[in-house]
Amino acid sequence: MADAERISAATRAHIEVENLEVRYGSVTAVAGVSFEVRPGEQLTLLGPSGCGKTTTLRAVAGLERPTSGAIRIGGKSVYASADRINVPAEKRGLSMVFQSYAIWPHMTVFDNVAYGLRVRRQNAQEIRDKVRRALDLVQMGAYEERQASQLSGGQQQRVALARACVFSPSVLLFDEPLSNLDAKLRADMRIELRELQHRLGITSVYVTHDLEEALAMSDRIVVMRSGRIEQTGSPAEIYNLPRNAFVADFVGSSNLIQGQFRPDLAGDGLVALETPSGHVMYGMAHGRTVGAAPVFSVRRVHLRLSFAPLLDAAGMRNVWPVRIRRCVFEGDFTQIHVTWGDRELVLRCVAQEPIAEGREAYLSADPARCVLLEPA
Amino acid sequence: MEDSQPRWSFPSGQTVVSAVVTAFAAILVLYPIFFLLQASLDVGDPEARPPTAYGFDNYATLFQYSQILLNTLLVSLAATVMALVFGFVIAWILSRTNVPGRRTFEQLMAIPYYVTPLLGAFAWSLLGAPESGFVNQVWRALGGEDHLIDMATPLGIAWVMALFEGSVAFVMIGAVMKSMDPALEEASQMMGAGRLRTMLKVTLPLVAPGVLGAAIFVFAEMLGSFSAALVLGMPNRFYVVTTAIYQFVSQYPPRLPLAAAMGVSLFAVMFVMLYLYRRVIAGRSYVTITGKAFRPRVMEVGRLRWVLLGTCAFYVLLSVGLPLVTLAYASLQRIAVAFPAAGNWTLDNYRTALTLNAVRSALANSLVLGVATATIGVVVMGLLSWIIYRSRVRGSFVIEYIVMFPQAVPRLVFAFGMMWAWLVSPIPIYGTLWVLLIAYLTVFLPLGVRAISGVMLQIDKSLEECAQMCGAAWFYRIRTVTMPLLRPGLVAAWLLLFIASVRELGASILLMGPNSKVITPAIVESWFATSAELTAAMALIQTLVVALAMAVFLSVTRRASHPGGE
Amino acid sequence: MSGFTATGSTRRNLLKAGAALTAMSMGSMAARHAFAQQILAQVAGKPPTKVLDFFTYADVAKAEQEGQLVFYCHENEAGTAAIMDGFRAAFPKIKTSYVRAQTGALYNKILSERSAGRFDVDVIQFSDLAPAIDFQKRGGYEPYVSPEASAYKSEYLSTPVGYFFWTGVTFAGIAYNRIKVKVEEAPKTWKDLLDPRWRNAMSCKISASGLQFVQWYTFTKLYGPDYWKQFANQRPRAFDSRVQLFDRLAKGDDKVCALAEYAAYILYKDKGAEVDFVAPEDGLPATPLVVGMLDKAPHPQAARLFVDWAMSNRGQAFYQSNPNLIYGSLRSDAPPMATGKRLRDFKLLFPADFADYMASQNIYNKEWNAMLGL
Repeated sequence: MADAERISAATRAHIEVENLEVRYGSVTAVAGVSFEVRPGEQLTLLGPSGCGKTTTLRAVAGLERPTSGAIRIGGKSVYASADRINVPAEKRGLSMVFQSYAIWPHMTVFDNVAYGLRVRRQNAQEIRDKVRRALDLVQMGAYEERQASQLSGGQQQRVALARACVFSPSVLLFDEPLSNLDAKLRADMRIELRELQHRLGITSVYVTHDLEEALAMSDRIVVMRSGRIEQTGSPAEIYNLPRNAFVADFVGSSNLIQGQFRPDLAGDGLVALETPSGHVMYGMAHGRTVGAAPVFSVRRVHLRLSFAPLLDAAGMRNVWPVRIRRCVFEGDFTQIHVTWGDRELVLRCVAQEPIAEGREAYLSADPARCVLLEPA
Repeated sequence: MEDSQPRWSFPSGQTVVSAVVTAFAAILVLYPIFFLLQASLDVGDPEARPPTAYGFDNYATLFQYSQILLNTLLVSLAATVMALVFGFVIAWILSRTNVPGRRTFEQLMAIPYYVTPLLGAFAWSLLGAPESGFVNQVWRALGGEDHLIDMATPLGIAWVMALFEGSVAFVMIGAVMKSMDPALEEASQMMGAGRLRTMLKVTLPLVAPGVLGAAIFVFAEMLGSFSAALVLGMPNRFYVVTTAIYQFVSQYPPRLPLAAAMGVSLFAVMFVMLYLYRRVIAGRSYVTITGKAFRPRVMEVGRLRWVLLGTCAFYVLLSVGLPLVTLAYASLQRIAVAFPAAGNWTLDNYRTALTLNAVRSALANSLVLGVATATIGVVVMGLLSWIIYRSRVRGSFVIEYIVMFPQAVPRLVFAFGMMWAWLVSPIPIYGTLWVLLIAYLTVFLPLGVRAISGVMLQIDKSLEECAQMCGAAWFYRIRTVTMPLLRPGLVAAWLLLFIASVRELGASILLMGPNSKVITPAIVESWFATSAELTAAMALIQTLVVALAMAVFLSVTRRASHPGGE
Repeated sequence: MSGFTATGSTRRNLLKAGAALTAMSMGSMAARHAFAQQILAQVAGKPPTKVLDFFTYADVAKAEQEGQLVFYCHENEAGTAAIMDGFRAAFPKIKTSYVRAQTGALYNKILSERSAGRFDVDVIQFSDLAPAIDFQKRGGYEPYVSPEASAYKSEYLSTPVGYFFWTGVTFAGIAYNRIKVKVEEAPKTWKDLLDPRWRNAMSCKISASGLQFVQWYTFTKLYGPDYWKQFANQRPRAFDSRVQLFDRLAKGDDKVCALAEYAAYILYKDKGAEVDFVAPEDGLPATPLVVGMLDKAPHPQAARLFVDWAMSNRGQAFYQSNPNLIYGSLRSDAPPMATGKRLRDFKLLFPADFADYMASQNIYNKEWNAMLGL
């Protein structure tokens, strides 16, 4: 970790975004977003397309001009609408990896990586050393003299990474860097990126729409929708304790069960809801108030199916008879749709023999896995 | 304490250069228009400058010349229809069928643009004059009566115009076809529709807006066209608005206010046309921003393929081959006829043309002017393209309008405004090559900006943004990233501007002075004041010299762009 | 050898024109006096120098130092270039450049340039007296009396002397294409041109042409205004230069030319064109070709030199014999034209009443342009 420590002493900074608003004419892309990025952490902006995550990232980079708000990097204000401050992108000292890699086709790999150093007028020897080191970091050392246009997608991605790191920036910004790669490569690169970021200890802001990526790589995640932040938290928090229906369903598929609050059945720290078809479900409130239309979120993978009636430790809680509606084989998983009262629930389990439709079975859910969502 | 930026700071290099270039473009474009309008409202003493009285009388007089306006509409409509037919058919053949040699023909289709309608007009005049035209002479020799074709009619003029504008229509319609997703047709086929039905129900409706846009654009260009009407129409008392303006200006006594009023009217119509054009194509991008062009489904045509290939070849022959051969044929005779006697052959025309001081100085001037226009133009228009399409300067759409403005003004009319403007200005550039340079830069703004921005938009924005993130300031980015990537586009734009400048007639015919003769108006003057044979010789010499200049330029740039040279 | 001695009506016409000029152009006594002083000053103390084979008051060395001559001329391209070639052959050190435009357009151009303060032209040649006189009135010419002027009768010089001179005369008859038109059918008189068979088959010159103006004026006087109304019905085609007219005639694009210059006829005949010339009895419209040096000329010595050259035998011989020019000379001691004929061999029609002629220019322009569709 010698590298990281050296870097941490000299260049660590953290990012603060305050009430950022970005409007284009009558369209509001980002409607009042605030978050913080701690030194050395990777914060991911996650959300569906059009949610404003890329716009936010580009605003931090300086490539978009926000309508109002403030952005500070390392304590220094780079954008403040109140004080009419707007530092141009080239002066912010940030670094960015683009979705399309943005490798310059008319230069060699070496020239691509060396660009940032040449802009900073470093001498030839230093440039050579730093470029070599950066390329080794991404295992592209052998390609130094190759024309950039001759590289494959994955190779271009690595060169883009090397280029972004070479001048030891304090912050790294990633704009969906892996979305153009195929699934296998994506999975591998994910791990490499994470390791690199850890090793260098650079603060990074990462944008993606891919849930797995966000969960695997981030220290904290910001879930966004329609220009607003839905929830901020660690991957585990986001996954296990979604705040609302959107987050619940976006971050790993959920069943949303709405019901009437049954305060008479509460106990052992559990909360009970009764569905319109009369089923009672027990779940955990996690400190949230119940509200007028309470909803439980239960992940598909947390529902269990069995053909023998189960005896729950607390005695028949959250066990219901159901009928199989459909069984879909998905390789590693099997997805099963069951009829539960007047509605359908979906569950996922490890692959098993196909189950005939119409068959009767028992569905159970660990109350600890049934999360009460915040009131709307 | 926080080190925040001061509230007021020096404008960046980018802002300064943008402002200067924009102001420059605005002056170039709007200054002559002001004078044009002023002249059209002049109802006082025609010799007094500035005008002594203002009024709308000149516009009222226009109604007396309604025949001319009708002529203009007739010729433009006919030419547009013909050009569209040529363009559509050839675009279809070259992008939707599996005819061999498609790539070659696509490049060949650019040549008519270089040959220019003026040369075509001369050649077709030699071919199709009712009495002396070669075609008619052959016709009579074969036993026909009277004449087979008559070029000196509205249809003849439209034909010549269409032959050359056809290549413009081809490029526009071809772009439309390339931007259509083939999956749409495939879906139709999957539903069971036959090829013809698919074409009628799916392809044509999809292509229609683009074709309509091309039609409007071509029509607007035809309204302002000058060369063909000048050579074929004027001698036969057939006037269109542009040749009428030219007549009014060069008559004695000149009727400048009337000419100005005509010019303004034409300009108003063209402006409306071009406004319509932008509405029609709004939202359809002809420039594939992500670099992704669809490869349209190609139709198997079997044996028809040779017929179709022949059609393309025939078009190129008609628009390029035949005129050049005709001119050569005529230029080598004393008095050009279809079946010359042995004693009719001579090299005198070339001898005279090459020794005529006017020709040599005009050629030299044209080449110098061409190089200057192209070089300065590429820089200025490159900057303008960048400002309009890449910078995030507020109000860049205003600049876009200013730059595209000259498209709506016929070049002759623009030159008329310039003539007026510079005649009275204290800066003594009237009658020199400088005024021609300024005129060319102005009228070619739309051409150059469109060509360069087409290439510029194909460069992914992220390439420049990444340079920004690496810390590069504006000029450094442009120098190290944008320019090298733009290079092939800039070379193409240079060539385009060079050719346009050398072949320009409308703008230069009014602004030439004794020491600033340029070749195309000189050729026209020769047509009207010397023999057709001598003119043919001059025209061919011009074509040859220009072709040589282009070849030289291309080889120079190719050598400079060899790897290792950077 | 005795040169041109006009006989008969031609001479009478010329004298009339000359007299009209004198009466017109000299205004007050004071002006005449001032002018005389000017000429004396110019001549006094300086004998003319002989250069090549003619005399000049110009400083030849200075002219060659000036090194340039800018010439505005009505002639067609080949003709103007020929004149320049002739001058350059005599004075190779002086570079020549020219602008050619038909007389009306030429006059238009020079006026608008001068009104905008541009004085770039040294010498100008018109094919009509009217613009020359008008230009003189406006002070466009610089008075310079050439030592060669003595070889010209006063009627062929400006009044007072020194503004412009008649460098030649061009005249026109009828010409037709021998193949398309049988000799019996060919027009013999000017009135024959009004025959409906020549509809859409006849050519003439545009309104800016000096010779065309003369034809219009003289025929209006000769045959009355109805002549041109009927002529308009023939829907003639109009062109800028005699070369164009004969080009088309030779190729058969037109059958008949209503203003066929003798000079062009000779040129095309030599080329082998199938054209014939007719000199109608009533006369041939003729116009003088007038040359003068401009006020505020950028190369004044070269300009003077040119005027002297043009007036001299050398220059006149050139004007007469060059196939692109073939002017008839008015110099008293000039030899016959290249064809052996002299001006006196033709019945030439000049405008008799010059004031009336000049005053009717506007009417002519309107009528003629209207006839041609504009």
